[in-house]
Amino acid sequence: MSLSGAPLLEASGLVKRYGGLVAIDHVDLTLASGTITGVIGPNGAGKSTLIGLIGGALAASQGSIRLEGRDVSRLAASERARAGIGRTYQIPRPFLDMSVEENLEVAQYSIAPFQSAASARREREALLERTGLADAAHLSAHALPLLRRKRLEVARALALKPKVVLLDEVGAGLVDSEITELIALIKSILDSKTAIVIVEHVIRVVRECCARSLVLNFGRMLVEGPTADILANDEVAAVYLGTHGAREKTPSRIPVSEEDLRATSEGTDAQRHLAPLIAPQETRSPAPALECRGVEAGYGQARVLKGVDLVVKEGEAVAILGANGAGKTTFARVITGALVPTAGSVHIGGRDVAGLPAHRIAGLGVTHCMEGRRIIPTLSVEENLRVAARGVDGSTARERLDAAYALFPVLAERRNSPGTSMSGGQQQMLAIARALMARPRLVIFDEISLGLAPVVMDKLYETLALLRQAGMTLVIIEQDVDRALALADQAYVLEHGAFSLSGKAADIAADPRLRHIYIGAEE
Amino acid sequence: MTRSRNFAGYAEVAIILIAFALLWFAPLVVGDYWQQLGFRTLIYLTLAEGWNLMAGSAGLVSLGTSCFVGLGAYVAFGLLNGMGFPLPLTLGASAAAGAALAVLVSPALFRLRGLYFTVGTLALAELLRLIMVNVSAFGGASGIFLQNDPPALPVLFHYALGVALVASLAITACTRTRASVIFRAVRDDEDAAAQMGVRPFRVKLAAFAIASALAGMAGAVQGVKLGAIEPYGMFGLQWSIDTLTMVIIGGVGLRLGPLVGAVFLIALGEILADYPAAHIAIAGVILIVLIRFAPRGAVGFFGSMEQARRGRAAA
Repeated sequence: MSLSGAPLLEASGLVKRYGGLVAIDHVDLTLASGTITGVIGPNGAGKSTLIGLIGGALAASQGSIRLEGRDVSRLAASERARAGIGRTYQIPRPFLDMSVEENLEVAQYSIAPFQSAASARREREALLERTGLADAAHLSAHALPLLRRKRLEVARALALKPKVVLLDEVGAGLVDSEITELIALIKSILDSKTAIVIVEHVIRVVRECCARSLVLNFGRMLVEGPTADILANDEVAAVYLGTHGAREKTPSRIPVSEEDLRATSEGTDAQRHLAPLIAPQETRSPAPALECRGVEAGYGQARVLKGVDLVVKEGEAVAILGANGAGKTTFARVITGALVPTAGSVHIGGRDVAGLPAHRIAGLGVTHCMEGRRIIPTLSVEENLRVAARGVDGSTARERLDAAYALFPVLAERRNSPGTSMSGGQQQMLAIARALMARPRLVIFDEISLGLAPVVMDKLYETLALLRQAGMTLVIIEQDVDRALALADQAYVLEHGAFSLSGKAADIAADPRLRHIYIGAEE
Repeated sequence: MTRSRNFAGYAEVAIILIAFALLWFAPLVVGDYWQQLGFRTLIYLTLAEGWNLMAGSAGLVSLGTSCFVGLGAYVAFGLLNGMGFPLPLTLGASAAAGAALAVLVSPALFRLRGLYFTVGTLALAELLRLIMVNVSAFGGASGIFLQNDPPALPVLFHYALGVALVASLAITACTRTRASVIFRAVRDDEDAAAQMGVRPFRVKLAAFAIASALAGMAGAVQGVKLGAIEPYGMFGLQWSIDTLTMVIIGGVGLRLGPLVGAVFLIALGEILADYPAAHIAIAGVILIVLIRFAPRGAVGFFGSMEQARRGRAAA
């Protein structure tokens, strides 16, 4: 505890410029011991930059940072870590060749090289237990899926025994029951000597953990104050929360009745504009767009899918829900041919595709908008799009590009920028547009809302609704249950590699068992 | 993990001590030819161990080995001729000189990352050689002679053995203790390591200084064996190239990589000794084939073959 009640960390007048671009513009931040502060704001608002400036990965162009009264502004990241500032990376950066345990040892032995091996081991075991990685201690970090890598990020930051903990989007991609665990974990880190900063799009984490919050927008502090006031603030709703996030607690279907949309000129316009991107429906063939029977698949010894049946009719939108590790992405990989099923059959448009290589399946009009976007960083936005429209003549490709730009005008503005130079939301738009460039019959959207601001999620789901109106067949794999159910006709819930719940989306939304699976509450 | 690491570490030290103890008696059993060959292998093993620590554990690819070999030899000759130092003490001084030069140049060299670091070390080696050529106090281009007679071959073999033992134990200390996670952290992701409180500069400097000290010692023993040194030989690029080639052929970052690479390349040189041009060409072809098909070197290649075989056996 610092003397005389001075704040634990005090940042004043922080500025970060990249050439002409001002990423952080005169931001002040004061952290008192024993508090959790939330930082929210749209993608590209400068939240991660702020974390980088405090953690020392980035040098501030202007301003000062004091930790317990000591000026740390000029210190390198390693010295700040030793002084007690621990951070996580938004995209986890574990040491991949090391075991999970060794990843923690790096932090332990860098700050206390001569700590006894026994006490270090006890600390590690306790940390892994707290972060839910106890069973993975000896696994290589390479073997961990994304979300467990995020837990490892948190565990590594805590191994420093930090006074200030900076958590950069550790909640992204977690389902409700996991969020509950995460909130408990964050609260358990906090003691009278620690301050925590949370950068987060999962509003529930901010609401339940943070007494105070601040909102960044275009690098500037928009508002700061008690979290409840912030979340009720109209200005915040306008720039960040959007319509859906504001009433997040009341899961209701967005009214996307077909008649409504067809009636509006926007609906028909969209349909006409989208025509170059959507394969015409196969009306003569009675076969469903996708039919899976008894599909089993896995990796090596691990069986992930244990008998999955699924039928998707032409023009239907199907949501596949489920907790992390339930097998959703594995299922997507089976459909697209990236993974060969060990049993069962997959038919696309009536044709048996089991064992067909991925590019042949893609040729049948199935594309996969992959989790994590997979934008090719060395290509520009337009090149990323053109890559997906191989094998068509120039004018057709041009037509599709124009349709994609009409769908996401911001991509047209950034057409010559490198694909990964855009904000997270724009990159996701690019990933969606790229999936459409092949003029597919069926698109699998895998976790498209991961790590995005609520307003951006709304925008993306509006786009999916348009695609559905225009007759595209959609398979939506999603953590964000409310949005996916609002859009879908049918919904399936995967649990431990099999569907535990299926039916009309509206019925599933109302089913108490869904809550049970996601929230994990005892009934 | 920690326990198994400790156990593996003790086992490794035991194996090294036993192996070197057995080799100590080699001069009693084998003739001059094999002792000469053994001497060369041990010198190169020392250099390769150091190089492997830099590249495999800290991510520093150096072409400056020759710089420290030459420095070690010149320092040894200065102390032996000028001050009549005993040889063991001289070796220590050569090691200290290597480490000191590494510390001295590190602020400049570590500003350079990746390939630029490599070019920087190459420039350093050339710089030192040109200084030796042009400063007559160091013997100029014609070099220096050792005033006393060099020790007999078995004695030299034992010195080389001692130097290689120091190298092996030093590397074990760096790769089997908690220091190893720090080294690997810096190699894998310097920025993330810094965020864990690791000071990348110091870690890289430690690897650079240890490798340079080993090269200094090896250079001193090599120089004493020759009895006369001159800049073109002692600071020759060949030292750096050979060392790098050995570690890449053996397997970068793998414990047995330097040993396998050194034995392989020297054996190849002996087999093809009558066709020096073919020797270089064949070594080049092997290097290309290895990088294409076994990027982790011979040790890495056989390691993954063994793993695959066990995998099949289990399935």
